Amino acid sequence: MEKILTDLNKQVQLGEIEKVKELIQKALEEGVAAMDILEKGLRCAMEEVGGKFESLEIFLPEMMSAADAMKAGVEVLQPHLGSGSDAGQLGSILLGTVEGDIHDIGKNIVKIMLEGVGFKVTDLGFSVPTLSFVERVKETKPDVLGMSALMTSTMVHMPRVVQFLKDRGLRDEVKVIVGGAPVLPDWAEKIGADGYGNNAAEAIKAAKEMIK
Amino acid sequence: MIQFWDIIERAENGKSLDANDWDRLVGKSAAEVVSKFDLKYDPDNPVPADDALADRMYEAGIELFERLGIYCIDTGKVLQFSRQEILEALENAPDHVVYGTGENMVHIPHRTIEDPRDPIVNFSAVGTPVTEELFVPICQSYAQEPMADTFSGPLITEFRGMGVSSGSPVEVEGGIWNVVKLREAARWAGRPQMPIHNFMSVAERTDATIAAARPELGALPGDGLFVAAVAELKVDYERLKKVSFLRHSPYVIGGLYGPLMGGFGGGPAATAALLVAHHCLGVMAFRAQRHNAFPVHIHHVCNTSREMLWLVSVTGQALARNSHLVIFANAFMAAGPCTEMIVRELSAHSLTATVSGWHLNPCAVAKNRQPLHCSAMEPRIHAEVGHVAARAGLDRKEVNRIAKALLEKYEKDFAQAPIGKSFTECYDPVLVRPRDEYLKLWEKGKQELAELGLDFDLIHQ
Repeated sequence: MEKILTDLNKQVQLGEIEKVKELIQKALEEGVAAMDILEKGLRCAMEEVGGKFESLEIFLPEMMSAADAMKAGVEVLQPHLGSGSDAGQLGSILLGTVEGDIHDIGKNIVKIMLEGVGFKVTDLGFSVPTLSFVERVKETKPDVLGMSALMTSTMVHMPRVVQFLKDRGLRDEVKVIVGGAPVLPDWAEKIGADGYGNNAAEAIKAAKEMIK
Repeated sequence: MIQFWDIIERAENGKSLDANDWDRLVGKSAAEVVSKFDLKYDPDNPVPADDALADRMYEAGIELFERLGIYCIDTGKVLQFSRQEILEALENAPDHVVYGTGENMVHIPHRTIEDPRDPIVNFSAVGTPVTEELFVPICQSYAQEPMADTFSGPLITEFRGMGVSSGSPVEVEGGIWNVVKLREAARWAGRPQMPIHNFMSVAERTDATIAAARPELGALPGDGLFVAAVAELKVDYERLKKVSFLRHSPYVIGGLYGPLMGGFGGGPAATAALLVAHHCLGVMAFRAQRHNAFPVHIHHVCNTSREMLWLVSVTGQALARNSHLVIFANAFMAAGPCTEMIVRELSAHSLTATVSGWHLNPCAVAKNRQPLHCSAMEPRIHAEVGHVAARAGLDRKEVNRIAKALLEKYEKDFAQAPIGKSFTECYDPVLVRPRDEYLKLWEKGKQELAELGLDFDLIHQ
C-alpha cells in the first residue's frame, strides 16, 4: 500500500493528471481504503506542495498543476468516499476578493491550498459586491467566509461586509477570516474578524482553527 | 500602427478565454520562452554583465507578448498582436518624456547601461497609508529634497472619519483633497510648480481621478498619472477608461507593471520575460510615455532579494539595449525606515537599477503595508547612491561585487524584516526635518558603502 501512495503523492506533485487517475484506480482495485488514498496520497502531496511553494522551491504554475491533478483524483475517488458530496471534507468556505479589487492571485493561492487540505471552497471571484457576500452567506451557510484585498482602497469594504452580516443577523452564523497584502492583524481585530492570514499557509491554519 | 481604437475593438472582439485558463497559459508560455531562449537565473551574479543574456531576454519578452497578448477582464477576451504590430509600436514609442512646464520642466531621456548621466529620480511614498494630518508634512518632506526631480504622495484610508472605499462618494472627495494637498505640499517645499508624476494615489476609480484632474485644484499640465496593469498581462475597462481620459489631457501617461516573482509566470527568468512583455502592454494599451516597473517577490513583497536584483538588472539591460523606452525601477523594500537593513536594501537596489539602464522611483518600504512608515530619507538614500554610481561610471561587474557584499548582510532577514520607525519618529513633523538618529544611520551607511568603493564626494560635483 505504501508504495502506491508514495507514487500517487509524487505524481500529484508533478501535476500528472492521467497518472494520478490510473494510480487511484489501481489503489482502489488493490483494496486501499478511499479515505487513505485521499489523506495519505492526495492531501499529503498538496501539503508538501504548499510547503515547497512557501519556500519557493516551486512556483505558482507548478502548484496549480498539482492542484489540477489533485482535483482530478478527488473526482475519481468521490464515489468511493461514502454518502454525500461533502464526504471527506473538512468544512465549507466562501471565498472572494472584496468590491473594487480585481486582483485575485492571493485569493487563488489560498483557494488551491484550502482545497488541497480538504475544504470545500466556493469561489465568488474578484470584486465581489459587498451585499453579494452577505447574500451568499445566507444562501450557502458556509462554515467560514474568507475575504481578500490587495489594495488599501478596497480593504475598507471588509468592515462593511462584517457590519452588513450583523445587520441581517448572520454574523454569528459564520466565522470571518481576512487577508491580503495591505491587511494587518490589528486591522482584522479592529473590524471584528475572527481570523487573519498573513499568507496562504496562515490562512489555512486559521481556517482549520475555525472549524474545530 | 495600432491605435487606441484598435485596443478597444480587440477587447470587445478578441478570442474568448476563461480567466483561469489565461493564468495557466501565462505560466506555460513563460516556461516555453525561458527554455527556448536559454534564460537562467544566476545567483552568483545578481548584476550580470552579459549583453547576450540581455538581448535574449528582450527577444523572449517580445515573443511572449506575441504569443499571449493582453487579457481583458471585463470582456473575457484576449487582445492579440502580430510581431510586426508590436515592433512598430515599440519603434514609435517616446524616447524621452517631459514633466512640468517652464523653469520647472524635467526632461527625461532614455537611459543606457552604465550611463554616466544622473538618473532622474521620482520621489514617492508608494502606497503607504497615512493620516490626513500628516499627509502634507510627509509630502513636503519628499518634495523639498534636492535630488527629487518630481514627487508624488502616499494615500489616506480615512477621510473625515469615513473609510475611503473605492466606488463611493468619499473616494471622489478624497481624490480631490489628494490633489489639493499635493500641490500645497509643493508650495511649502518652496517648489509650487514642481511636477507631480502621479497626482492620484488616494482614489482608484476613474471617475474620482477625472474629478480631481483640474489645474485649479493643483493637477497642472505636465503632471502625470500612472495606469497599472493587473498581474499578469491583464487590463480592465476601469484602466482603459483612464487611458481614454488621459490621451486627451495634458498629463503624462505612466505605465505601471508589477509581475509577481513566484506567481503566475514562475521563477526569476520567466518573470523577467513577463516584465519585458508588460512594457509592450504599456506601449500599446496604455499609450504609456514612461514606464514604471515594480516586480516583487511573492512572499517577501520586495525587489531587493538576490533573485529580484537579478530580475531588475536583466530586465533593465534588456530594455536599455534593445529599445528606446523611458524606464523607471520602482524600489520595494522589505525593511522599514531608519534601519540598517533598509539602508543596505536601498543601496543594493539603486546601484543595480542605475547601472542597468533604469531611472529611479523610490520607494515602497516595510513590505508596503505599515501605516505611516515612510519618510523622505529612504528616497534620499536611494537617489544619492544612484547619482554616485552614475557619476563614478561604475560598471555592472563592479556593482555586482558591491551588491553581493550588501546581500550577504541582509538576505537572511527577509522573513523577519524590521518594520522600522514611523514618519514622526524619523522626522520632526513641524519643521519637516529628518531626526539625528536617521541622519547618523545614513552617515554610517555611507561609510560602509565607501569601504566597498563608493565615492560620496561625487554628490557635490
